Amino acid sequence: MATTALEHELKEMIIETLELEDVTPDDIDPEEPLFVEGLGLDSIDALELGLALQKRYGITLESEAESSRQHFANLKSLASLVESRRQK
Amino acid sequence: MTFRELSERPWREPAPATPIAWLPPENGGPARWLTVGEWHGRIGAWQQRLAGTPNPSGRWRLYEPDPVEFSAALVAIWERGDHVILPADNQPETLRNLSETGIALGQIVPASGSEKAAASGSEKAAASGSEEDAARPFASQPPQWSARPLPEIAVSLYTSGSSGEPQRLDKRFDQLDAELATQALLWPLKGNLVVSQVSHQHIYGLLFSILRPLCEGSPFSAQPCRYPETLRTWLQSCRDEELRMVLVSAPPALSRLPETPGWAPVSGALDTIYSSGAPLSRDASDQIEACLGTSVHEVYGSSETGGIGWRVQQRGSTWTPFPGVEVDQDADSRLWLRSRHLESPDRWQRQADLIVLTDDGFELLGRTDRIVKIGGKRISLTAMDRALAQLPGVERAQTLPLQRRDLRLAAIIQLAPEALPHDHAQHREMVKHLRRALAARFETPALPRYWRFVSHWPTNAQGKLSADIRQRLFQDLDDRRAPRWLGECALEDGWQITLEVPERCAYVDGHFDGHPVLPGMTLVHWAMQQARRLFALTADFAGLERLRFPQPLLPGDRFVLTLRLRQDASHQGDAGASLRLECDSHRGKHVTGRVSLVSRPTFDSKPSRDGAHAE
Repeated sequence: MATTALEHELKEMIIETLELEDVTPDDIDPEEPLFVEGLGLDSIDALELGLALQKRYGITLESEAESSRQHFANLKSLASLVESRRQK
Repeated sequence: MTFRELSERPWREPAPATPIAWLPPENGGPARWLTVGEWHGRIGAWQQRLAGTPNPSGRWRLYEPDPVEFSAALVAIWERGDHVILPADNQPETLRNLSETGIALGQIVPASGSEKAAASGSEKAAASGSEEDAARPFASQPPQWSARPLPEIAVSLYTSGSSGEPQRLDKRFDQLDAELATQALLWPLKGNLVVSQVSHQHIYGLLFSILRPLCEGSPFSAQPCRYPETLRTWLQSCRDEELRMVLVSAPPALSRLPETPGWAPVSGALDTIYSSGAPLSRDASDQIEACLGTSVHEVYGSSETGGIGWRVQQRGSTWTPFPGVEVDQDADSRLWLRSRHLESPDRWQRQADLIVLTDDGFELLGRTDRIVKIGGKRISLTAMDRALAQLPGVERAQTLPLQRRDLRLAAIIQLAPEALPHDHAQHREMVKHLRRALAARFETPALPRYWRFVSHWPTNAQGKLSADIRQRLFQDLDDRRAPRWLGECALEDGWQITLEVPERCAYVDGHFDGHPVLPGMTLVHWAMQQARRLFALTADFAGLERLRFPQPLLPGDRFVLTLRLRQDASHQGDAGASLRLECDSHRGKHVTGRVSLVSRPTFDSKPSRDGAHAE
């Protein structure tokens, strides 16, 4: 399945922000979990990603729902969060 | 509010209508209070469950992330006069190692479960998602208060010992009470709401987020607060309800606080911030003060020692010992401690911490053992090295902390020749395999992030894996133009250097057309750099001869660069030299040819390892 430009951008953001030195954008399956089983990200990475989304896209996560962080489940859900909430 | 020691059983006293736990706002609804009466009902429920569970040892292993259930279970066990063991985490191996130590209670879930909950932020899932308790929710009951004495040991904690083996630490009530009394005197909670971002399975969270509120009659949050956006909403809610919040936090959360949107509208609801687990950087401390308008009180201590000292960095970097704690230093800068928080309060005891005494306290220099803090949790590198070295194919392993933003671990792994990864996919597989093997025992943030697979243990001339070799192994992290260096060996007439193409290498072309490759000329450039260092070469590049690039290297490829320096008789005039270079990977040859050099190189009789700057 084709990766959208935004998905590619997010892949690069994840790799850069979290310094995943041995991961290439192709290694990130848009449907695969980002945390633990899939890419192996952890709770510190979740905080880093939140910060990066805020800096890059001006997205403020709301606690109105734990659902904010459910957007972190995989790349696809992250991309739809950015699409719907980006300020820049 | 007055302070009551645990030995006075402060949990029995308050009137049933007194609010004890704050249920944060959810789905647009307001926050609510859980009363002492309701909480007592939970104690009664746990008492009934304990009474119905045969346990001749009287020992209970409690892992329960929900603060209300945790505190109720703790009190129920104490009221029986039984012994509580608190595992540091719920990793399968931790639980297996402790399986002889009593009956398990609370949320004991597979390793992935806790992280999944944390990652998805589903606090509800974390609070009540235990599959273990089919019987849950077990019904509230009136508690039974008896005259049975409290147990001799209040809690047993497990922490990484310097030997790498988990170490059991027993805390008596008088030790905990001494510490709780000190905190109450120094920083009274004054009825403020205690919100925690740390685990109460560890001493700091246990004391600050559960026991202090109980002893000082302050309410605590019924849920942990994991994320900055949750903190903002809760602060907003506190402001609306005219509550003031005491935040029990740690560097991982505090150093990743977004600056925008500004915190000013809600920060007035914040009374105090505590941080412990690891030192907070000065930058993070200043940023929090600027954002939240409250400075951070950092607490320094450990599971063994309890609290040792505290500081507010805006007033200085030195730590002030807590009242009742005496600190000294020996000739080796080792910390000596005499403290009411220790098992033997009258004896001076030597610690693994290194300090230097100052006029008004002490500075921390580090530790003498291989214990590091990652994400605020203590990790024994000795234990991790041992776990890695036991895996099939691993001949030798050493983990080391890399100071990159926060602490992350790196690992140098010597593999059997047949296990060495040759390309990106094999490297990824090996990393996944090793991380998975460690995951049973270590929490995800502790797993090494940077891996270097070597075929021979890289050492200097003295046989040591020295600081400069470590630096060379990880140089590509800081320099996007550098290859990943994995070792080298001298040949009779040259050098063989093992390298990898870093996936994020700045020279890699073609990311966007989906066929990234390393340009051949980059290899020549890398060869020149290595030659300058290894042959103490001062000569310059003059041209290329018979250079062939049979096939390109791909990101992640492991390859061997063979360099031979030759005086070249075929050269006319002032005899030049040339560098013969070959590059091989498991897929075949990538470069053959020569680089001619303009001026005479200088040779050391032995090739120098620091040739780049040799005269």
